[in-house]
Amino acid sequence: MTKANESFQEVSIHISRSSMTTEVNKTGSWRFVRPKYDEKTAPCSAACPAGEDIARIEMLAGQGLFEAAVETVLLENPFPAVCGRVCFHPCENACNRAGLDAPVAIHSLERFLGDGAAGGGLRLSLDKLPDNGKKVCIVGSGPAGLAAAYFLTRLGYLCDVFEAGTEPGGLLRWGIPEYRLPASVLKHDIDRIENLGINIHCNTPVTRRFLKDAKQRYDAVFIGCGHGRSLQMGIAGEELASDGLGFLYHLRRGQISAAGGTAAVIGGGNAAVDVARSLVRLGTTVVLAYRRRRQDMPAFQSEVAMAVEEGVEIMELVAPVRIEADGGESVLTLQKMKVSPAQTGGGRARVVPDGETTRGLKVDRIFTAIGAEALEPWQLPPAENSQTLRMSHCTLTIKEQPMVFGGDLTNRLKSVTDAIASGKQAAMALDIFFKSGLEVIQERLSACLVGKGPALSMARYLGVGRTTRNSHIVLYDEINRDYFLPAARAAATRLDVDKRMQSVAQIEQTLTSTQVLEETGRCFNCGICNDCDNCRLFCPEIAVTLTGTRRQVNLDYCKGCGICVVECPRNAMALEEEP
Amino acid sequence: MRTVLEGSHAVSEAVRLARVQVMSAYPITPQTHIVEALSEYCAAGTMDARFICVESEHSAMAAVIGASSGGVRTFTATSSQGLALMHELLHWASAARLPIVMAEVNRALAPGWNIWMDQTDSLAQRDTGWIQLYCEDGQEVFDTTLQAFRLAESVNLPVMVVLDAFFLSHTFEPVDVPDQETVDRFLPAFSPRISLDLSNPCAFGQMAGPAVYMEMRHDIQKAMQQVPARFEHIETEYAALFNRRYGPVEPVRCDDAEIIMVVTGTAASTCRQVISELRRQGEKVGMLKLRMFRPFPTDLIRRILGPARKVAVVDRNFSFGASGIFAQEIRAALCNRDGHPPVFGYIAGLGGRDVPPETLAQIYRMAKDSDGPEQESVWVGLRD
Repeated sequence: MTKANESFQEVSIHISRSSMTTEVNKTGSWRFVRPKYDEKTAPCSAACPAGEDIARIEMLAGQGLFEAAVETVLLENPFPAVCGRVCFHPCENACNRAGLDAPVAIHSLERFLGDGAAGGGLRLSLDKLPDNGKKVCIVGSGPAGLAAAYFLTRLGYLCDVFEAGTEPGGLLRWGIPEYRLPASVLKHDIDRIENLGINIHCNTPVTRRFLKDAKQRYDAVFIGCGHGRSLQMGIAGEELASDGLGFLYHLRRGQISAAGGTAAVIGGGNAAVDVARSLVRLGTTVVLAYRRRRQDMPAFQSEVAMAVEEGVEIMELVAPVRIEADGGESVLTLQKMKVSPAQTGGGRARVVPDGETTRGLKVDRIFTAIGAEALEPWQLPPAENSQTLRMSHCTLTIKEQPMVFGGDLTNRLKSVTDAIASGKQAAMALDIFFKSGLEVIQERLSACLVGKGPALSMARYLGVGRTTRNSHIVLYDEINRDYFLPAARAAATRLDVDKRMQSVAQIEQTLTSTQVLEETGRCFNCGICNDCDNCRLFCPEIAVTLTGTRRQVNLDYCKGCGICVVECPRNAMALEEEP
Repeated sequence: MRTVLEGSHAVSEAVRLARVQVMSAYPITPQTHIVEALSEYCAAGTMDARFICVESEHSAMAAVIGASSGGVRTFTATSSQGLALMHELLHWASAARLPIVMAEVNRALAPGWNIWMDQTDSLAQRDTGWIQLYCEDGQEVFDTTLQAFRLAESVNLPVMVVLDAFFLSHTFEPVDVPDQETVDRFLPAFSPRISLDLSNPCAFGQMAGPAVYMEMRHDIQKAMQQVPARFEHIETEYAALFNRRYGPVEPVRCDDAEIIMVVTGTAASTCRQVISELRRQGEKVGMLKLRMFRPFPTDLIRRILGPARKVAVVDRNFSFGASGIFAQEIRAALCNRDGHPPVFGYIAGLGGRDVPPETLAQIYRMAKDSDGPEQESVWVGLRD
């Protein structure tokens, strides 16, 4: 076919177009504000006691880069499979996504990554700094001790861990029931820590004398003993009650396989709830007696809710008065309590006896779980003095030799993740001390805070990431929600209540990789660049250049219109005045 | 392949076969079905195009202007208020010499709200520099849309393919849809004469002062003047491949006609029936269907209408304070010719009111029984 235009006069196109390149027109001269890449802090990571870089972890997992995602977790927390199960996930409470629909399922995602790392399918590379010749003695192999050993090892220290028990893990191994944390899962996380080159000496109780000797052989000591002894109620007939922590310990050792009957559990913390829920699984009818109101219980509310779901009766506002034997059973006399009339404001209720009212509770067995304390006085941190530095999660003293006290005995919040945070803070504090002395520790640690702290970032300390991260915590209103549609939060498959009663199997399944890829798509990735490229695509001046994965603003042409900043869905950019 | 298609989907099919690369549109009844189908083609992957969602017709036109400046084949569609909102950018598209194709479904303007057939929306845009083609049936809609791309790219002017609301946009008719290979032979890949060059960035649409502006405008008119010959060539090629041809105008039994009725769009189909019936009754009547409105086919109109005794123009539109717009244009085309026939203007079928055969027969009688036009327009069928 002939071309249409051949036989016709040429159509002239006389349009207004510059005859020379517009590159000579440096529109950058019009600018009075300039955009910059300004990564900020995601609220989840600021809320995480371990300061995990959650926004980035979500991004990497969403791209299917599971190795990189796990390595990013492991930079800040050596226990992803454990924390993916037992952490109280304050990250989710802080999640900006809640403003749109529901928080991102960060907790479940961490478990997925932790299990992936345990499954052996991922090839992880965990860097260690070269051996610096210094040795640290770690007392206790709970989450604090193992975290301290882990981070110190990665910083180039040689660590020996001493554990009184037959296996490492401390509270994780003996204090948390199987249905919340299977032993095999814990072992995977601990094996990875041990494989870093840490010597864990079990069946080795540490004494004062041992510590004296340790001073000769080690450059520093970390004490992370945790609570070794349960608190006493101080009531008549107390000897008729069993110790809750002891019960959990024997359960984990496999020494208890049946119970049945009825039981009362006294207390309102996580240990009390663990005891109650474990008893339920052994066929026991359980009443949990707590002196304040249900909402005042220090146990995680989700755990309390599940306990109720499983049939635990919660009796609130009752204080134990005495225990008496009655045949094979015990009678627990409880004083009715009420919220003190002097109570003002919110928070945990102050309670006072409600007149003379008491009630009797007749059960087969009584357990107490009202708290615990240090086994030995030397496990506690010394009083503050010029040679002692008290930090958010541990205390360092250099009186005789460098010693750090951490874990539950120094932490305000007795959570596993806070214990890990304590180990990390201890490792960083010791490293700063050896390099630069006691005086600069606070200042150097401040430079490594995630957001406003108290969580610390090891990536920041090592200078391997997050170094330019602005401490501003991204607000919901700073997210460009035009880019996000409501989407259902991933829900892990859950065991039915009646099935839970028949075994110690975990209640929730780990998310599938399909679920994870969908769920990570819900994450705003607050404050971090995820290469969406909007800044480059929207720039009317084509002034954003991309070299490899690095974006730059060409200030010769950037007019400072701010479109890139507005169109950044996640507030990873900012406008600043011209210098 | 012959298939039963809604008039709107005849447009969509043609756009798909034209391998349009970028589309942008904002939904408005009765146009929506066109772009709805196109967005589904994009989503399903049966069309390798980018559909840009926007918040208004103004932005839709801006988006296709941008894309067309970038050197890709573009399409958009609208109606009524949407077209009115685009007005500013219609001028831009033509003066920037961008070969954009737009389907425009004739719909009445508000208030009062009315979604039905009325030509005032497109005719109000007659001075924007767009080529305008009015269609009679589904097959013509399909064929005209394909031809529109060739025509637009041939003279670097935008083309509006106009179809009646509902009477055409929502009516199902058999349409012959050719295979892609044959369409590709008629309409090869777009080779743009205007496109952005990232390696040599330059400014478009800059200031053009008194020294050059007039020449630029004249250039547009020169391109318009080339349309008839080029369109004829395009139609010849189209007929060779698909065996269909319509012409810029279509005279029916005009050779010996004393009175010629001028009609557009679907009213032409009705009028064919009416003149057959009148001829049977011995009336010397003919019909002229206008397909091309811009550029206005003045020569053809003079040649066909010149010998008639009377011309009766049916306008489904109105220019307030003047008359029906087609009648005005025809008067203007004839007035410099000595002894031209008087032009009777009739207004009918505004805002979707039906124009049945009886109305057209009535118009014929009114023209026949009148010695000369007593007023510019006669409104037919007004209620008391």
